[in-house]
Parts: sequence; structure tokens; C-alpha cells
Amino acid sequence: MSFFNSLIPTAAGAVSCAESEALPARRPAYEVTESDSGYNLTVTLPGVSKEGLEITDEGGELRIVGKRAGKLPEGVVILHRESTDAAFELVLEHDNTIDPAKTEAELKDGVLHLKLTKAESAKPRKIAVT
Amino acid sequence: MHLINYRNASPATRFGGRYGTQDLENELNWLFGTALNGFVPPVLGGQFPVDLYEDKDNTYVRAELPGVTRDAISVEMIEGSLSLQASRKEKTAEGESTVSFNRLVSIPDEVASDKVTAAYENGILTVTLPRKEESKPKKINVSVN
Repeated sequence: MSFFNSLIPTAAGAVSCAESEALPARRPAYEVTESDSGYNLTVTLPGVSKEGLEITDEGGELRIVGKRAGKLPEGVVILHRESTDAAFELVLEHDNTIDPAKTEAELKDGVLHLKLTKAESAKPRKIAVT
Repeated sequence: MHLINYRNASPATRFGGRYGTQDLENELNWLFGTALNGFVPPVLGGQFPVDLYEDKDNTYVRAELPGVTRDAISVEMIEGSLSLQASRKEKTAEGESTVSFNRLVSIPDEVASDKVTAAYENGILTVTLPRKEESKPKKINVSVN
């Protein structure tokens, strides 16, 4: 995968390892919409509770790591498995125009809604011509 | 033993066996997802991952259904199969659309279908199917907590 990663640096997030997980992290499904005041980010994180969620914004890089809480209990016999315990990791780059103090996050039923507010300097302004 | 009725080959199994790793699939999904930005929905309707496991007392069916309200989940036992149905409303550019999900899972005969319970937490639906001595095929509705 190093070939892909060298071509597309942001794709590296899809295969990097979370610290405490032996399994490679996977990129969750997500959607970003933009408005005048900011961005709305929706990330699908099934099985992730608030305790397992970590959101950091540093150096123009928004990183969302979600560790799954609902792991299979010990001692059960698995008859069929399609899910994985791998953590979710999503790394999105931005041009540092987001005001981190105004970021709002809500996690409900395995879906994270993140409201990113644009810094005042980045909002569109009307300039009056004199 | 036939456990799961596949309606379609799920994306997770399509490349299975040939590459032995999901890395390439992830990369391809990412590349196509980027190229078709705004065209591919975040989560495709229809299929969702299901796990089937058991301990000495119960059989469990676990399904990933993020972003679904409890009212929109329907769990039914139909003649030895567990039917899972759910729907989710999504906002689109044209307004609101409803995405439906459904799976039919064949379960062991020795399940006491009148004692089935279901719980939904963090976007994961877990259905607990207690065992019984003899099986009696019947259809019941199960309330979701």
C-alpha cells in the first residue's frame, strides 16, 4: 500500500494502526457539507461509545479515532462473523480556518455529528465600495 | 449447516479470498469514493454486517445499524428465521429520503422464540435468542428496547 500512500498522502490514515489495537484501523463512512458559517461532518461509527471516541484538531488536521465498545463477550462460540473489532480512524485536512473553541460534537446511536465553525477571518464578508 | 441467507454478495466478501486483506479494497473504495464524490452515499442501503454467536444458554445475533431510531427497527421471528428490518431518514439535496435495510438470518431450531429479546446501543442491535428443548415454528413480534 506504500505505493498508494505515496501518491495520496491522506490515504495513509486508512491503513495506519491505532495504538492499542492489533488490527489496522479502518476509515469510517463520512459526509461533509459546507455552509457559510462552517462545516457539518457526519461520521458513521457503529459500536463506538463516548468513552471510546477521541477527536483532536492539530496543525490543520482533524483526527477522529473511535474504539469499539461492543466487542464480543469472552467464551462465546462464533458461528458467523461479518463485523470487525478494528478501531475507526478518520483524518481530514483543513486549511486551519476552523475555530476549535466553537466545535460541537454529538454522538448518538453510532453516528457522530460534528459542527465545525469557521473562524471569523475565514467567513465571507461584503466589502463596501466607497 | 445453512446459517445466513445472502440476498446479495456484500461488498466485504466480494474480494475475499483473492487478496486476503481488506487494504486494497479500502484503497479502491477510497479512490472511487473520491472520484464519485457526492454520488456514492456514505452507507449503502440494503445490507449491513451481521454476527452470529452462541454461549451455553443463548444464541445471539448482532447487527450494525448506526443512526437508526428504535421505532424504525423491526425484529421478527418467522419460521426459524430472524428477520431484521430497519429504516433511516437521510437528508438529501432534494429533501428527505428513507433508506431501508433488511436481513434474514436462519437460526438454530432449538431457540425459544417467545423469549427473544433485543437491545440497541451505540448503533448496534443485539438480539438474544434463548435455547429451548424442542422447536415450534411460529411467527411473533419482538419489541425493541
